[in-house]
Amino acid sequence: METAAPKLPLDAQGRRPAFFTEDGVDQLVTMVLELATELWVLRERVFVIEAVASRHGVPLKDEVETYTPSQAERATLEGMRGTMMNQLFRTLNRDHRPVDTDGKA
Amino acid sequence: MPFELSHELKAAHDRDSLARQDFVSSLRGYILNDMAAGMKARFEDEVEPALVRALGRPVQSQDEVHGAMRKDTYFKFYSSVRYNAQEMVWRAVTPGVEAALPDLTRQIDQLSQRGGGSLSLDTNLDIPSNVAGLDVHLMPGGYANTDTAAAGAVYDNGLAVFSAGFMGPNLDDIGLSMSNYVKHRFPDFRPERILDCGCTVGHNAAAWAQTFPDAEVHGIDVSASVLRYAHGRAQSLGLPVHYHQMDATDLAFEDASFDVIFTSMFLHELSVRDIKRFFAEAHRVLRPGGLLINMELPPNRELQPYDQFYLDWDCYYNKEPFYRAFRDQNPEDLIAAGGFGPGDYFQFTVPQFSFTDPDAFVAAVNAPPSFDGETGRLSASLNWFGFGAWKAKT
Repeated sequence: METAAPKLPLDAQGRRPAFFTEDGVDQLVTMVLELATELWVLRERVFVIEAVASRHGVPLKDEVETYTPSQAERATLEGMRGTMMNQLFRTLNRDHRPVDTDGKA
Repeated sequence: MPFELSHELKAAHDRDSLARQDFVSSLRGYILNDMAAGMKARFEDEVEPALVRALGRPVQSQDEVHGAMRKDTYFKFYSSVRYNAQEMVWRAVTPGVEAALPDLTRQIDQLSQRGGGSLSLDTNLDIPSNVAGLDVHLMPGGYANTDTAAAGAVYDNGLAVFSAGFMGPNLDDIGLSMSNYVKHRFPDFRPERILDCGCTVGHNAAAWAQTFPDAEVHGIDVSASVLRYAHGRAQSLGLPVHYHQMDATDLAFEDASFDVIFTSMFLHELSVRDIKRFFAEAHRVLRPGGLLINMELPPNRELQPYDQFYLDWDCYYNKEPFYRAFRDQNPEDLIAAGGFGPGDYFQFTVPQFSFTDPDAFVAAVNAPPSFDGETGRLSASLNWFGFGAWKAKT
């Protein structure tokens, strides 16, 4: 019988150091780096998608240019953006009161 | 680029996590090579001349360097980006480890059935505060706080990202380099029992078992979590290692029972008092003619003030509070405090075994040690630093 896996923490104990004297700059660096990471994740995924499609003879690059998402797809994309926002601004709440935004931006 | 772990316990990360891990690894490579070079140039061109003018003399200490660099924008960005990258290492691997956890215990149990190595846990062991009370390396949850192999899994997967390929395919280049140093520098020395202290996931203990296949290899750590994982990891690699939950400052082994006592990146996590206690224990359990050998960051006395400052960054910003106090010591004095004789000490540098031509490796092993700003730090031109002592034969 499987036992439920424990949730693993994502943050180390203790306050983060401040390297910049101006308030907020350290958090801004985190935001930029998280953004850069997710940008890379996306670029890699697009690269792979186009490569796979091309391997199967699908002209994906051309079809993407003319695609219009449905309402349901738009809702899915909105949820994905919310998750991305939580990641982008994760340091703002870290040393204060954690706020559960339920993935909504 | 990080290597993909080649043992059966590696977590199956999803594609986005793998892309994050590659990104963080590349980011760390950029920080440790490009940004580090840029920051040093910034120091030499701008900060140092201004500091020399203000002091009216040459720069003499790493504290003077640190004090001046703290105000420098390049250092602020270097530090802030490096700190974030350290957090991102763990964040990139934790979801995959969490998903793998339900199967991990069963996997380790199955691997254990293969025989060869063993695992002995001591549930009554007092976990020292430098492990239990601190998230060393900013690793969330620390090394000792779970009843599963989670800490070991996070560390192993994280180290593969952190080391950006510098530690070799199985993260065992330190163990391979040190054990092959012993093999090629002292060809008449044939160790029968080898002990790795503070072994975490056993990546280097397994390397000793690989280099000396006829020897009986043991590894100890205070964390049951990393040892559970170490046991499964070594079994998966087919390398018989015996892991024990034990404190290196209070070894449960008999007097004169080992030929080699090895540590890697371990001493700098201990207080100076505990390092001396450990060396006394190492001296006790070594057989006459046995070898104590430690891979470490080079001592500050071998480095220029800027390079001292550069290496001690981890002490201030990576939750490794004893790092600098250790590096400020003369290792020869620490060894002597453990009971080794004054003439028994030696120190050396060694190229990376995994990435060095075999003949060049043997030549380097037999050359005098040389120190520069690259010694002991993860960078494109890495040499590991080691020191140790022979226990007197009589």
